Amino acid sequence: MTDSPSTAASSRRLDPVAILAALAVVAAYARAIWFTPPERVQGFAQKILYVHAPAAWVAFLAFGLTALAGAGWLFLKDERLDRFAESSAEVGVVFTTAVLVTGPLWGRPIWGTWWTWDARLTLTLFLWFVYVGYLVLRGAIDGRESRARASAVLGILGALLIPFIHLSVYLFRTLHPMPVVARPEGPTMPPVMLKTFFLCFFAFTLLYVALVRARVAYAADRDAVEDAARG
Amino acid sequence: MPDNAIYYRLAYAATLLLYAGYALSLAWRRARLARRRAGHA
Repeated sequence: MTDSPSTAASSRRLDPVAILAALAVVAAYARAIWFTPPERVQGFAQKILYVHAPAAWVAFLAFGLTALAGAGWLFLKDERLDRFAESSAEVGVVFTTAVLVTGPLWGRPIWGTWWTWDARLTLTLFLWFVYVGYLVLRGAIDGRESRARASAVLGILGALLIPFIHLSVYLFRTLHPMPVVARPEGPTMPPVMLKTFFLCFFAFTLLYVALVRARVAYAADRDAVEDAARG
Repeated sequence: MPDNAIYYRLAYAATLLLYAGYALSLAWRRARLARRRAGHA
């Protein structure tokens, strides 16, 4: 199945979801910077949590949906699923990069080191490599169907790392902090910090939706232009 | 309380740059595609 090319006017129009996402992200940063107190023991470095944890959540969401869309493509051969998988993987790589940049910026003042080969950190780096590899693989295959098939398989296999990363703090001896919100006994954060935390989760999830919508629209236009060029 | 505000400022600046940079790269790619489409029309 193919989409008709979007018109030049529609590609110039600003997506309302993108406007909402931009406003939510600005609100989240403003609340985290100016309206949330620093934590007593960790100081201001604790505020890195508000951009680090939501980025990790979005990365897992993005790669999980990449795998689902890839599996869907294997059954249905619908090009829209492949375009969604490609877009979600690319946005997921952006958010995983944010995780890998903000983690060491927290680790340096709190652990005294930028990086340690701890299970969660190492597996997250592997996840980043797998999906960068996914994007490189897509660029290396010309045929649309073979590209979709190969990347669907890699997308599904890559997502198998997600449960290991999530459970790594329980499965392995690790320096990484245990969850402070998603725990059976309830969150350990004060309400003012918890509100900021949830606002950041909401804002970055909305940003993911906006970026994927834009990326899918680009992929549909690109395929239409390629089809037109082939005649 | 430890004086480590520089790290969180760097983290916030880096993430903002990353997300804004990616959004700009998408806009740039769409503009390039529109020029290519105009070339075919």
